[in-house]
Amino acid sequence: MISLFRRSLTARTVFATVFLSALALVTLGGFLSYSLANAFYQSRLSQVLFETERAVSSVQNTVAAASLTDETALQTLINSVVPSLEITDGAATRQVALLRSPGQPQLQLFQSPISIDLDLATIPEELREEVRQSQSVLSYTSVAIFRDGVSIPGITVGAPLTIPLAGDFELYLVFDLSPEQQSLELVQNALAIAGIIMIGMIAAVSYAVTRSLVRPVEEAAEAAQSLSAGMLDRRLPEKGEDSIAQLAKSFNKMAGSLQQQIQQLDQLSRMQRRFVSDVSHELRTPLTTIKLAGEVIFGNREKLDPALSRSAELMQNQIERFEKLLADLLEISRYDAGAVTPELETQDLNAVVGAAIASIEPLAKSKSTEIRIALPPGAVEAEIDGKRIERLLRNLLSNAVEHGEGKPITVRVGQNDQAVAVCVSDEGVGMSRSQLERVFDRFWRADPARQRSVGGTGLGLAISKEDATLHRGWLQVWSKPDAGTSFRLTLPRHRDSVIANSPIALPPEGVEK
Amino acid sequence: MTQRILVVDDDDALREMVGLVLSGAGYEPLFASDGISAVSIFSESKPDLVLLDIMLPGQSGIEVCRQIRAHSGVPIIMLSAKSETEDVVLGLEAGADDYVVKPHNGVELIARVKARLRPMGDDSQRVSVAGLSLDPKTFEVRRGEQTLSLTPLEFKLLHTLAVKPNQVFSREMLLEQVWGYQYKADTRLVNVHVQRLRSKVEQDPENPKIVMTVRGHGYRAGTES
Repeated sequence: MISLFRRSLTARTVFATVFLSALALVTLGGFLSYSLANAFYQSRLSQVLFETERAVSSVQNTVAAASLTDETALQTLINSVVPSLEITDGAATRQVALLRSPGQPQLQLFQSPISIDLDLATIPEELREEVRQSQSVLSYTSVAIFRDGVSIPGITVGAPLTIPLAGDFELYLVFDLSPEQQSLELVQNALAIAGIIMIGMIAAVSYAVTRSLVRPVEEAAEAAQSLSAGMLDRRLPEKGEDSIAQLAKSFNKMAGSLQQQIQQLDQLSRMQRRFVSDVSHELRTPLTTIKLAGEVIFGNREKLDPALSRSAELMQNQIERFEKLLADLLEISRYDAGAVTPELETQDLNAVVGAAIASIEPLAKSKSTEIRIALPPGAVEAEIDGKRIERLLRNLLSNAVEHGEGKPITVRVGQNDQAVAVCVSDEGVGMSRSQLERVFDRFWRADPARQRSVGGTGLGLAISKEDATLHRGWLQVWSKPDAGTSFRLTLPRHRDSVIANSPIALPPEGVEK
Repeated sequence: MTQRILVVDDDDALREMVGLVLSGAGYEPLFASDGISAVSIFSESKPDLVLLDIMLPGQSGIEVCRQIRAHSGVPIIMLSAKSETEDVVLGLEAGADDYVVKPHNGVELIARVKARLRPMGDDSQRVSVAGLSLDPKTFEVRRGEQTLSLTPLEFKLLHTLAVKPNQVFSREMLLEQVWGYQYKADTRLVNVHVQRLRSKVEQDPENPKIVMTVRGHGYRAGTES
């Protein structure tokens, strides 16, 4: 529910509209029903007071007109007059009570007449007090009448009455307001039903209006999403002249220019990649001829005079270098074209590391560099493209030999649940921070002034990085000037596992930080 | 008798250079500069081996290879400027025995040529495997009365497997024993040749009974059944 709210603008808007209009309707209904109740009460009250006044004066007149001689005659008179004030049939009943004020000498026989079903609780003591004090004026209060267990609103009106021979009395009339109550309830019910219908209509209208506004926005959001997902021909329908249509138009314009630019860039980079690949291929045929010719000359160099013989040697070496460069260039152009798929097979990383070290051993010997190995016991199995990983490691090792200044090189292998790792560390010249940032750039060399003995192509680390990325792995570097450089390769153990952390720290333990 | 090698390449300089290298190794080079003349020169002069460039004007090397294979089992080595899988596989499927990626060196080229020209299977006995009988003297393979035509290399591959039916041969072992390579070569050679062989000798190449794959190891000959 909460997530629906957070997600849906429509739900939020409809809820807010319904909530606020319900609040307004309840306030309005409350006010209406209160004013109506008040009006009903007031009009009934004035009628009640009028009737009471008439009743009181009729009793008074009757008592005054009669010539009373004894208590019995009085009793008879009162018994005939007071009950006649009662109304028992119909909806609006009227009950009556004639009560003797307290604090007078006791009469022997006189009985105060009271309507049979009158509940004396409807004549509160406060009212009686007020009546006694008011002398000739009417006093009233609203009361609750209980009839058949149901509370009905009512008004009790009282007036003082002095009867000769008998003393001070109070006459009370209890009026039943149930007709007014019923009318009021009817009106209130009508109001409530009208309110509910109104809220339903408001909800429907606000939903429709919000939909009509939110829909285009949602469509735009969806279109923007698919645009960013690469579906560049996604557009919005442009209808009408309003601000929504304006939004659609601007969106389409943006998408159009975006698409155009991306396509242009795409074509440009495709052309460039194509060019690199074509050049590399075109160079191969003449290079083959040159290479074969060079070999023939080189193979016969003893027959040449020393200068020509040395020239043949130089040419031979440079042809090899040229060939390597061309091969690397072609390799990187294949990566750029996205035409490389790894041939993953479950292999023992220790064995791959061993093969790479064995092939670099002669170079290390020639630079009298010791290679130390720290392998975990047993096989370190991972799904890798063995050829590419071996090439990558050879490259890291030959870099380490070249920059290691004859100090020992350490190769560490590690593993955890998701990943395997190899770290190649030298203790040579190291690199500065600014050099580190460019170490994977193509054709970049740490120190152009330094003599090149190993003769890499300048593409080695760039290709290595691509190889690591191809395996969805990491190739990272740590270096400190005069302390050495460590390259750490971390690869996922399986093609679908994701590396969380590398099994080897960078820089590895034991390397001076 | 000097063995003759047909060099098919559209690049004049490279063609001449390859010719020089072959002459230096004691072979007699013949030349063709496009696909169409290559086929006619081949049928006129019956060379002992063909060095065939894949990218040729007029008719591609792959097409030339197919036409030569239609009526001859002479060894064919493809020359390719591309080492991408599709090119290599296409060439091998068309019937080439081996391939060399440019830029190659002379020593490697001569080694490959020598390996292909080495006589095959003269010292071995007749063997039979899964209803086929192999005669190493005539390179003939028979299923009952029917004669199947295999190139010498395909025959050697089948024969090597058939002589030791209980042994599993890894791709590297086959490269060494069939192709005669001592160094690391491309194991795709084996895969494509096994496919080609199956398409010729198996009754249902999808469900091989004669050349069986042993997953993760290599191949072995099917047992008699």
